[in-house]
Amino acid sequence: MAPPAVRLSGVTRVFGVAPALIRADLSVERGEVLLVRGPNGAGKSTLLRVIGTALSPTYGSGSVLGFDLVTGREEIRRRVELLAHRTRLYEDLTAKENLRFTSALYGLDAGRIDPVLRDVGLADAAGERVRGYSHGMRQRVAVARALLRSPELLLLDEPYAGLDEEGKDVVDRVILAARAEGRTVVLATHDPSRGTAATRTAFMDGGRLLPDLRAAGVR
Amino acid sequence: MSSAERMMATLIARRGERILAGLALASLTASAILSLVVSPPDAEQGNLIRLMYVHVPAAWVAYLAFAVVFVSSIAYLVTRKTRWDRLAAASAEIGVLFTALTIVLGSIWAKPVWGTWWTWDPRLTTTAILLMIYVGYLAVRRLPDSPARRARWAAVVGIVGFVDVPIVHLSVRWWRSLHQAPARLIGVPDVSPMMGAALGIGFLSFTIAYVYLMAVRLRVGRLEERAVAEALSPRVGQPVEVLMEEPARG
Amino acid sequence: MTLLGQTLTVAGKDLRIEMRGRYALGAVLPFAGTLLITFGLSLGPGRTLLQQTAPGLLWLAVLFASILAFRQAFQAEAEDGALEGLLLAPIDKAAVFLGKAAAVALELLVIEAVVVTIVTAMFGLSLGDAPLVLAGAFVLGTIGLAAVGSLFGVLAESPRAREAVFPLLVLPLTTPVLVAGVKATELAATGRGGEAGSWLSLLVAFDLVVLGVGTLVFGHLLED
Repeated sequence: MAPPAVRLSGVTRVFGVAPALIRADLSVERGEVLLVRGPNGAGKSTLLRVIGTALSPTYGSGSVLGFDLVTGREEIRRRVELLAHRTRLYEDLTAKENLRFTSALYGLDAGRIDPVLRDVGLADAAGERVRGYSHGMRQRVAVARALLRSPELLLLDEPYAGLDEEGKDVVDRVILAARAEGRTVVLATHDPSRGTAATRTAFMDGGRLLPDLRAAGVR
Repeated sequence: MSSAERMMATLIARRGERILAGLALASLTASAILSLVVSPPDAEQGNLIRLMYVHVPAAWVAYLAFAVVFVSSIAYLVTRKTRWDRLAAASAEIGVLFTALTIVLGSIWAKPVWGTWWTWDPRLTTTAILLMIYVGYLAVRRLPDSPARRARWAAVVGIVGFVDVPIVHLSVRWWRSLHQAPARLIGVPDVSPMMGAALGIGFLSFTIAYVYLMAVRLRVGRLEERAVAEALSPRVGQPVEVLMEEPARG
Repeated sequence: MTLLGQTLTVAGKDLRIEMRGRYALGAVLPFAGTLLITFGLSLGPGRTLLQQTAPGLLWLAVLFASILAFRQAFQAEAEDGALEGLLLAPIDKAAVFLGKAAAVALELLVIEAVVVTIVTAMFGLSLGDAPLVLAGAFVLGTIGLAAVGSLFGVLAESPRAREAVFPLLVLPLTTPVLVAGVKATELAATGRGGEAGSWLSLLVAFDLVVLGVGTLVFGHLLED
């Protein structure tokens, strides 16, 4: 049987003396859509960033798609896309150029860039510099990037923030497409109207994954 | 524990510190007696030559400390064990002291001999640049808030800095040699056996002093880590001892 | 993609951003020019002194320009956290180091071409005799500056970074470039270009060391 998408064991991440993620134990099977809920500052972003290897754990260990969080970082990065709070775009390049850069780095098919930009509703603005984009438009570029990459594990950190209803629908379509293809999604949001595609929900507060639903997830 | 670890542990223990302090004091005293009283004045520089007995050993320790930073930095990047980072940080701090001391002593020596506080002597100039690199190293240590990142960044600076110093020295030496170079100020002039002995004891006593200061600084470093772990422990719900152990290899 | 391919991709991205935003040409070049005029004012107008100090002032201007150029280059990575994107990409992290160094080196060479022209006119520096030596000194020296700047530019992006840490590191570490560059330029300008060989080889050694060590350790700087 394929290794679980995510397995964390006692993962703690500290910034200075402030712990942002405390003793996280988590198990996510492939094909699941895990919804992580919690108030601001609960540690959802940190959790996703640790899973996505943008942050390394201060204590504890874990694996993503069978690769160790620390020693298998590069392997994980090849297979995971993190859609985080910061869009990681280059302001002076256009959306299309940003995506071309991404596809060059990841070895993707550049021919899919135009269709993907159409999908997220940016076909018209694709030739303009990102500097002139609204926040919602930037989010859409990030979503387009996730679509382009079609990763085995998709990590979405508050993807709906700053989007209008239409934009939020685009995000949901990405999640549903991933689920249909058997890929795994971890979605963190405190938007109550979204997340219906989730197969499971977890709660976080004060840096901890709350225990009641952890038990349901551990096999 | 390996014998090396046992030796380290002994050195760092309170009793070890006191023994080192005693040794340092004794050897420094011997060095002082030899340099100030027993050894003869120089033919050219008279009693000024006695500055050599502190200036040159200080320079030796400055570079020794930096070499320790270099080796520890590599060891840290390879093994990711925090003890190497602790060693590098301690050695850098002590190294800064000895480097500054070397420069000040060199300056004091230069004034009466050459009538100027600063000559662009290649070794002294390189030492001044070394001081700046050290200071840069310590400044970099203050930037990140994650200890793993701090250790990594510092290690990179420690490695690049050390590798650069010989090139800096070469360039300054060539630069200097293009002009009328006065007889080397900082060098070991023809030494009588007594002067050689004084210099040798100087090297030894300064080295022991360095080891003693390292022992103290390492202990302070562990106390700092303990303080952080104690602040963290209630929030993370793990005992202090667990937090003090090697954190995840990050 | 090979390391070379990845390096070229990163460098290409940086150069494209430069062409769009004109940061190096628009801000760093005027700064270098102003610096030289200021040097001239503070040392002149006696021709002899200016001629003698011209190589040194020239390289000082290049050094300060490179610090500014790297500030700009890493600014683009800082704006939306793009540096993390480079970290997460499945590329050799050394490609980021080399790519940025290559891009900024090219920008600096363009700036240097302009600056050398200014200095020749304003300070009476003669360049005719040994153009290859001169070009060699600038190319090799620029590579060295770019390597150091690219390596430590990451540190400038830290949220806690005070403005001075980056220059504090770069200045002492690039001393060999300054010394060798100035000496080689002096020799070229005074008709003794043939003697510059040892200075040029010093620059080569410096470049190889920094590029080599940087390639090995850069990844450690990016990880969090």
